[in-house]
Amino acid sequence: MGSRFSEVLTATDPRVRDTSLAELCAPLGVADLLAACDELDAFRARAGNLYERVRATLFLAAIHGYELPRLPELPRAGRLSFTGYEQLLARRYEEAIATFSADLRCAGPSDTTCSALAAAYRGRAFQMLADQVRRSVRSARGNQWMFRVGHPAELPLRIRPELVARGTADAPFPILRERTPVRLDLTHSAWSDIFFLGMDFPEGARVINVSVDLGVRGRDARPEPPIETCLRVIDEPLLRLCSVDLEANVDLHRVAQVFEFARDYLGLLRAGVIAAGLVPPGLEGSGAALAPLLERLCGPGRGLELVTRVRDIPKGSRLAVSTNLLASIIAVCMRATGQTRNLEGPLAEGERRVVASRAILGEWLGGSGGGWQDSGGVWPGLKCIEGRLAQPGDPEFGISRGRLLPDHRILAAPELPDAMLELLQQSLVPLHGGMAQDVGPVLDMVTERYLLRDADAWQGRLRAGEIYDEILAALRAGDLRRLAALTTENFSGPLRAIVPWATNRFTERLIERVRARFGERWLGFCMLGGMAGGGMGMFLDPAEPPSARDALLELLLATKREHERGTPFAMDPVVYDFAIDRDGSAARLATGDDARMAPGYYALVVPDLLRQRAGQLGPARRRELERLGEPGWSGDELRGFLPALFERMLPSRQEARRGDVRSLRELLDLGGFDAELHERIRADLRAGRIGLAQNRLPATTTIEDVRPEDVVLADGELPATWHARGRAALANGEVAVVTLAGGAASRWTRGAGIAKALSPFCRFAGQHRTFLEVHVAKTRRVADELGVAIPHVVTTSLFTHDAIAAHVEETDSFGYRGPLLLSPGRAVGLRMVPTVRDLVFLYEERARQLLDEQAQKVRESLQSALIDWARSAGEGADYVDNLPLQCLHPVGHWFEIPNLLRNGVLADLFDRQPRLRYLLIHNIDTVGADLDPARLGLHVERGAGLTFEVIPRRIDDVGGGLARVDGRPRLLEGLAMPDDETEFRLSHYNTGTTWVDVQRLLEVFGLAREDLRDAVSVGEAVRRLAARVPTYVTVKDVKRRWGRGQEDVFPVAQFEKLWGDMTLLPEFDVQYHVVPRRRGQQLKEPAQLDAFVRDGSAAFIESLCRFA
Amino acid sequence: MDVRKALLTAAGAGQRTLPLQTIVAGDGRVRTVLRVLLDEVLEAGIEEVAVVVRPGDEPAFVAAAADAASRLHFVPQPEPLGYAHAVHCATDALGGVPFLHLVGDHLFVRAGASGDARELCGMAQRAAACVSAVQPTREHELVRFGAVGGRRVPGEERLYEVQRVLEKPTPTQAEQELHVPGLRAGHYLCFFGMHVWTPSVMDALDARFRSGDPRAVVLSDVLDEVARRERYLALEMRGRRYDLGDRYGLLAAQLAIGLRGRDRERVLDTVLDVLMQRERTRLEGAEPSGDA
Repeated sequence: MGSRFSEVLTATDPRVRDTSLAELCAPLGVADLLAACDELDAFRARAGNLYERVRATLFLAAIHGYELPRLPELPRAGRLSFTGYEQLLARRYEEAIATFSADLRCAGPSDTTCSALAAAYRGRAFQMLADQVRRSVRSARGNQWMFRVGHPAELPLRIRPELVARGTADAPFPILRERTPVRLDLTHSAWSDIFFLGMDFPEGARVINVSVDLGVRGRDARPEPPIETCLRVIDEPLLRLCSVDLEANVDLHRVAQVFEFARDYLGLLRAGVIAAGLVPPGLEGSGAALAPLLERLCGPGRGLELVTRVRDIPKGSRLAVSTNLLASIIAVCMRATGQTRNLEGPLAEGERRVVASRAILGEWLGGSGGGWQDSGGVWPGLKCIEGRLAQPGDPEFGISRGRLLPDHRILAAPELPDAMLELLQQSLVPLHGGMAQDVGPVLDMVTERYLLRDADAWQGRLRAGEIYDEILAALRAGDLRRLAALTTENFSGPLRAIVPWATNRFTERLIERVRARFGERWLGFCMLGGMAGGGMGMFLDPAEPPSARDALLELLLATKREHERGTPFAMDPVVYDFAIDRDGSAARLATGDDARMAPGYYALVVPDLLRQRAGQLGPARRRELERLGEPGWSGDELRGFLPALFERMLPSRQEARRGDVRSLRELLDLGGFDAELHERIRADLRAGRIGLAQNRLPATTTIEDVRPEDVVLADGELPATWHARGRAALANGEVAVVTLAGGAASRWTRGAGIAKALSPFCRFAGQHRTFLEVHVAKTRRVADELGVAIPHVVTTSLFTHDAIAAHVEETDSFGYRGPLLLSPGRAVGLRMVPTVRDLVFLYEERARQLLDEQAQKVRESLQSALIDWARSAGEGADYVDNLPLQCLHPVGHWFEIPNLLRNGVLADLFDRQPRLRYLLIHNIDTVGADLDPARLGLHVERGAGLTFEVIPRRIDDVGGGLARVDGRPRLLEGLAMPDDETEFRLSHYNTGTTWVDVQRLLEVFGLAREDLRDAVSVGEAVRRLAARVPTYVTVKDVKRRWGRGQEDVFPVAQFEKLWGDMTLLPEFDVQYHVVPRRRGQQLKEPAQLDAFVRDGSAAFIESLCRFA
Repeated sequence: MDVRKALLTAAGAGQRTLPLQTIVAGDGRVRTVLRVLLDEVLEAGIEEVAVVVRPGDEPAFVAAAADAASRLHFVPQPEPLGYAHAVHCATDALGGVPFLHLVGDHLFVRAGASGDARELCGMAQRAAACVSAVQPTREHELVRFGAVGGRRVPGEERLYEVQRVLEKPTPTQAEQELHVPGLRAGHYLCFFGMHVWTPSVMDALDARFRSGDPRAVVLSDVLDEVARRERYLALEMRGRRYDLGDRYGLLAAQLAIGLRGRDRERVLDTVLDVLMQRERTRLEGAEPSGDA
């Protein structure tokens, strides 16, 4: 390849190597870019260096994803190959690339095909990176043997004799207790701890990582290592796992059970046992019993019990709790089997490295992920963790520039003054903002931007590297103020430049408030982990009294309350007291009477033991129960034991649940729940008359793509006459906007139950704005330009009404001077436990993205557990085991328009604006939809009853499309497609945006304007029309929160009617206008946001808005 | 370097009677294990054998040695303080010269006509260095042996420079510290139960006993120290070693010797007969119980 692309990919000179892709592509047209793609594809096939291949592959993804679509001469609509799509879902990326490339050669380039190629190249690039990490972990010395053990008789480990030594046969076995701190990343060196970055750019992979003990302010007397892991031999041939904090325990008898990571809450314990080599990963699938393995390990008739306890550090703390828990489990298991030199005390340096590499292995096994600094709690105090170039003898040598595992250098006096450590402890306040977030997409964005060398992101990365050096210097100089200023600069500069999504409105508002409250005594902010909102740190003047931390907590709580309507919080914020841990992970062997389990253990296991007959208990268990009653057993282990025991053994909690059900009833009444309809749906669901499979049209239906004459191409410059027509209608008061805002952000937050309309999803005009604010700002711009008041209606539901109403009031209708009306929802459904039939259909029949090998195993294990749950909870039973609002569901956006009729809002609109004739209806997440006069003019000109805006399909646009069904054009919902392949014959996708002729709409309902004040007539009309529109059964995810920020996701069955099915009605004259993507794109998931900014959509939206 | 002395350890709690067991040697003669070991040693040119025994065991060993008893020099180990201590007890008897050391609970089945001890002594004499006999062993057996790590000596097919010695390492340690380039994955060079040691081994051992708790001294740690200080070689043996202290160890050793010796056909017949009888019983529906 002779182009600049190859020069950049193979350059050793950083000035050339770090050229951004955007700069390379800027002067090129479609033909040049396609030629460059051919060259890049050939290059990646022959390149020997992994990172040259990966970078070339991501270049290809970005050219197809952003650079080509940016060019106006690229044709928009094209066809997608279903074969290629299936290959994409099955992670057969190279085949998918070949299929889509053949399509491109055959049919010519199009936005559609480019989107498919972009997805395939992107998937392939990340697959290569993940494969390399996996290979490196497996080939690390000390880990390889575990993959060779294929039979229990080959287990080469033995329990250390100290763990089976006991005075008498009924004496307790000794307990080995490992206590492990968590880690706090002081520098946040621009996510440089992502494995891929460290392995390509080890020079930039540097962090200062602190091992910390924590105590929750107001609850714990003093900071302690938050993680405790206990291991002991038991006189039963089984593996017993117990998590005190997750209140879960299980006895495992077979090897296969150890590999069921998602069966219960003990997946991490399972992964730890495997990664420590006690049940080596090579045994997976052996079908063996555990007893022979345990006999080899600790003697005939014996087994092991592993108990973990995390001292109530909430999930999402950004303190790498799960990785350090994994490391703690691995460490205690390694000690117990002689894989460390010392049974007790801290670990040796080489042993820490083995533990760290196995924690990475364990995370891969368990289908989760972490960074290379995350097991930092295993090391003591402060340490510099720095990437290293791979050397001969390293498994990475010749493959990647850097090693998988970095070097750890402990910072101690005299390099780091002790006084500085004291200052740090007095000043830094770690806290948890309470937000529930998925950092996965952020990490992918970081990797992508790094490999593409986006100019801003790259400059940010270089500056973050300088800040690291300056932070180190400030630590050495004992300059706390400088340190805090640097971490603040890092957050507000480089980190936000690299990934704008690392921050959010909640965090920014919190910083503003803390700064305002403490003034000069606020020294700075420190972002922890992948993104802000969960774990964070504030630096206060060390002279501040302890009560300052209480004030901080109050500010946190107030800020949370302000944002919780549109931001997913898993819990209330927490402030920690912390201390620097000087030992790292350390163990102690407790023998004789001191051999007691972690606090909380007995309250968890004793109720089950008491329910068993004495004869069923082993001698050691019996003796343990006896010991509980002996004097001297009243320490930490038994704190709260009696209340917890009664709580578990008596059904007081069930009483509390009944209280929840009552309030659920109230909500159902309030929301217009139709009990009769609900029972009919339940009966149909159970009988198999309705369900996911029954949503589909019969296979005999003829479904074809629409013909050119079925659509109006309106994706280019529109004639001035239409524009004038539209302006006239607007100026004449004939138009109102309806924003559908009843949705509870099911996909946006995976079922967290917030008002999506109020999610501050993106920065516009210098600050984060909510979806609703953006929509109102677009209406304001048009209204201001024309000097008219345009009514803007926001439809709400039971789930969103109160939140939106309060927000609109607080913001004074976002400063909008035109009428801003809320249209409250009038229908709600009660979720049900799905049928096993529907779950199997969902998991096995529908085309679904296959995950990475290990993550897929975890997913399958989870699906099997969820099917068991559905069976035991009762198929079709009411879903009530959650917060009341989480048990209810909106019944589809079809109802949101009839609600305008039923709740009098349309009648009010007519009163205010008698000339009202047209409605622009759009989804909350179609952020580009606006009152474009030319589009309105087109709708008016063509005189349609309904005009639906559609866009040329891209690979991600799944879930329906515009089709000719039995010869008639209509919108076809994804749920109704006879099979997954049909959708791929359809070249247009529904945007959800509709122009409506109100008069015609009323006619279809069989109503006149005057009838709108007659509730009975309106109710009948709505019911009549509803019966003609299909009802779909869907299975959605709902979160159930428990404990400290823990969340489970359950599938629930619900039903819905969809607005697009209005196109079924023959009496409506429906037209379809093809609009540009940036107008019709819907934002369904936060992971889309990066592309949304990158492809210019965000800037376009901002140009449509006028904010108050 | 001349090797004329040997050391046999036979005082361990579980092993002191093992050399007194009788087996049928390859030539068909019934002999004690001790006598078979002495044949191995004497063939290597050894003139005097120090045998570390539990006090009072000497007469039984004299009887078991039969006509080779005159070559024996008994060293009593007054207290059972471990393997390293047993070797240390023989310091005076060995008199500061290089010596061949065999553990008394192993039997060695040679691959060729020449004995393993003879080959080992020959190598030590040529190299003028400590040489331990080793055998590539699968990692799940590591819990039973001391093991060495190092590099192959250029130009030598079976000779290694020892860099590390670890006692019964876990595979985690072995992978990190005992890696030997060229060896099959999952295999390590484990001790064969036969060594030629120079006086420096006894010096290092003595230093350890002078400085600490005798029960804490591990011979492999001493060898590890020696390997760091001076040239220490390992020779990969072609023969096989059998640990008689293992479950069925004596039976396995006897079978191995029998199948290589004069009575090969007879031994095979016996094995086949046992198998056929078992199969017949099974087919007749009376599966013998595990302890039958």
